[in-house]
Amino acid sequence: MIRRLILYVFLLAGALFTTLPFVWMATTAFKSLTEAVSPTLVWWPAQWQWYNFVETFQAAPFGRYFFNSFLVGFVVTTGVVLTSLGAAYAFARLDFPGRALLFGIVLATMMIPFEVTLIPNYVLIRNLGWYNTYAALIVPWCASAFSIFLMRQAFMGLPSDYFDAAKVDGCGHLRFLIRIAAPLVKPAMVTVGLFAFLGSYNSLLWPLIVTSEDTMRVVQVGLTVFSGAEGVRLHLLMCASTIVILPTVALYFAAQRYFLESSLGSGIKG
Amino acid sequence: MEDSGSGFRVSGFGSRVSGIGFAISGRVELLLDRRCRDRIPGTPNPKPQTLNPKPQTLFALLFLLVFTVSLLSAGCGGGNGVVTGQFKPINATAAVFWDRQTTETAELLRTIADEFNAKRPAALPIKVEHTGGYKEIFQKVTASIQAGALPSMAVAYQSMTAEYIQAGAVVPFDPFISDPVAGLSPADLEDFFPVVLETNKYPDAGNKMYSFPFCKSTLMLYFNRKVLADAGFDGPPKTWTEFLEQCRQVKAKTGKAAYPVSVDCSAIAGMIFSMGGEVMSGRQTLFDGPAAIKTFEILETLAKEKLAYQIPPGTYDDEMALSQGSAAFTMRSSSGRTSIALLMKDAQDDWGMTAIPQDDPAHPSTVLFGPNVCIFNTTPEQQRVAWEFIKFFTSPETSVRWALGTGYLPIRRSSANNPGIKKFWAEWPYNRAAFDCLPFAKSEPNLAGWQEVRTLVETAETEVLTGVKSAKDAATALKQKADAVLARQ
Repeated sequence: MIRRLILYVFLLAGALFTTLPFVWMATTAFKSLTEAVSPTLVWWPAQWQWYNFVETFQAAPFGRYFFNSFLVGFVVTTGVVLTSLGAAYAFARLDFPGRALLFGIVLATMMIPFEVTLIPNYVLIRNLGWYNTYAALIVPWCASAFSIFLMRQAFMGLPSDYFDAAKVDGCGHLRFLIRIAAPLVKPAMVTVGLFAFLGSYNSLLWPLIVTSEDTMRVVQVGLTVFSGAEGVRLHLLMCASTIVILPTVALYFAAQRYFLESSLGSGIKG
Repeated sequence: MEDSGSGFRVSGFGSRVSGIGFAISGRVELLLDRRCRDRIPGTPNPKPQTLNPKPQTLFALLFLLVFTVSLLSAGCGGGNGVVTGQFKPINATAAVFWDRQTTETAELLRTIADEFNAKRPAALPIKVEHTGGYKEIFQKVTASIQAGALPSMAVAYQSMTAEYIQAGAVVPFDPFISDPVAGLSPADLEDFFPVVLETNKYPDAGNKMYSFPFCKSTLMLYFNRKVLADAGFDGPPKTWTEFLEQCRQVKAKTGKAAYPVSVDCSAIAGMIFSMGGEVMSGRQTLFDGPAAIKTFEILETLAKEKLAYQIPPGTYDDEMALSQGSAAFTMRSSSGRTSIALLMKDAQDDWGMTAIPQDDPAHPSTVLFGPNVCIFNTTPEQQRVAWEFIKFFTSPETSVRWALGTGYLPIRRSSANNPGIKKFWAEWPYNRAAFDCLPFAKSEPNLAGWQEVRTLVETAETEVLTGVKSAKDAATALKQKADAVLARQ
């Protein structure tokens, strides 16, 4: 009993320690600038500045930015899940010449840093005439090597007897994938979707580079308006950050069970 | 850091997987397969799924592939190759201006652009586009050079423009300025403070003017009057000796470290100028000269006596400390005035700003800050419209309006007679301080490679402040390294 109590105390301390920065962010959203930048830690605002939210939304068209972020995030997530399902199934269950080499090449793309491919990708987008369009924000991110890798591992965990039995009943690869395999790897699918959405929702440099109009920009770009060369409006930045992280936190809680299941199964950390 | 999303997506996982892959020579898949199988009780042992009978060979091949692709991609994206010929405009129906201003200042810039457009409804309009910070603007311009399509103009520091010159992407302002119809008259040119024009001439490119002043400011000493009063002073220091003395007294009487240091090459250059020195002579740096050594010695003394401390890079902790009364001084660009005023809006009488301390107050000097604007090598019409807008923007009236709205300095001498400026100066005694520094401000060198030298200077400053090196050793090492960098160009 005491052991369990000690364990819970430690866990609670860890949870509090992890949560404190978020609490500070949320309360700073209601502070005045002077309180927000105070060298001594101020946890609660002396006077709750609700007007910060008005100022935040006046500083940039956050409504439009949210719409764009959700639209792009949703389509990218759908794209990544579909391409990962197809590619991963092929790599896991189909025998074809060069399969190992092709999979190796897919894995190798994960080792090329984003910064290296930024300029070639931008040139490609320009040449395709996609500059300042949703296509530029969506298409390059609709396939992900990591997601293919993760899904492949999940498919390889399925007993081959399932496929053999389905095959005896006249089931082809496509039907097996849709009706049997995909539902069995749901945790991995949710994880892939979650990563895809978070990656898309959190991206800043790429949307900034390939768009020029406010009508095409996303929430992360909106956060940059509070930091200038002369200083940071910390209270407004925290206010905007609090609003911006809400959807991702909600999404994580909704998908938490699947995410943990898949992470534990595949050995992913952090 | 900037690209948290995309960078995380690719680099984060990439490095994790590559780490595993190289560590266990391709067996990662077998291990992970086994883990997945273990999750399903009673699962029969399926057909082994190996990558290759010779995993080491495969990974050698993969490494070669990644290496080659990386090299090719990096080669594509360098942006240093000489590109000749004209670039396509990024928008054929508007003269696009890539800028970094945010909130109120961005709104003011757009208003000025709208007014300019309204005056000439039939002509190509100016379109201001926020393109992130300077780093993002540089990345986007570099990428656009490779894509062959550029905006009409963009804000740029001299080091950025030097890169654009090498790529043949920018055009000199000299033909625009000397144009008998659309150019600047000798009286107009005379009206600009010489330093703001000189800073835009590039010795490596025939001393031509490849950029034009846009947002200018000078290095200033900000001080907390209350803290100084507590230490027994009724005004800021005029000389470096006085500065050290005031710092000592602040420490002794209030227990506060007087000066939180924001490590910055421009501030070091400003200090060297204020000691009566220069940072360059020809293509040789003067970091081992008496003025530079004296500068580093002051920092060394401040650090040793715990009168100063270094703030984390990229933060504004010094401004916060000043506004909270936990520090007496900070040295920042004059454009920081608006930010500090906001922090001290309830105590406007408790702070002030003045020229940085001098070795000889009779011959003062400081450093000039702030970005310029450059015109890209697109169509003649786009270039012409860009120049017309820049001319309009730097006209005496607009220049004053911009200065009043942003905290930057009006760049023309005649601004001193403007009623708006006079009113602004009368509102608060320190409002005029930065403008008065313009006549003796100097700019940092406009040389290719200076960006790298800036990093070396900041490293040397950190070494002195942290006690890793003595002032003299840091200055000597800096001189050697900086000269080597500039010699490579």
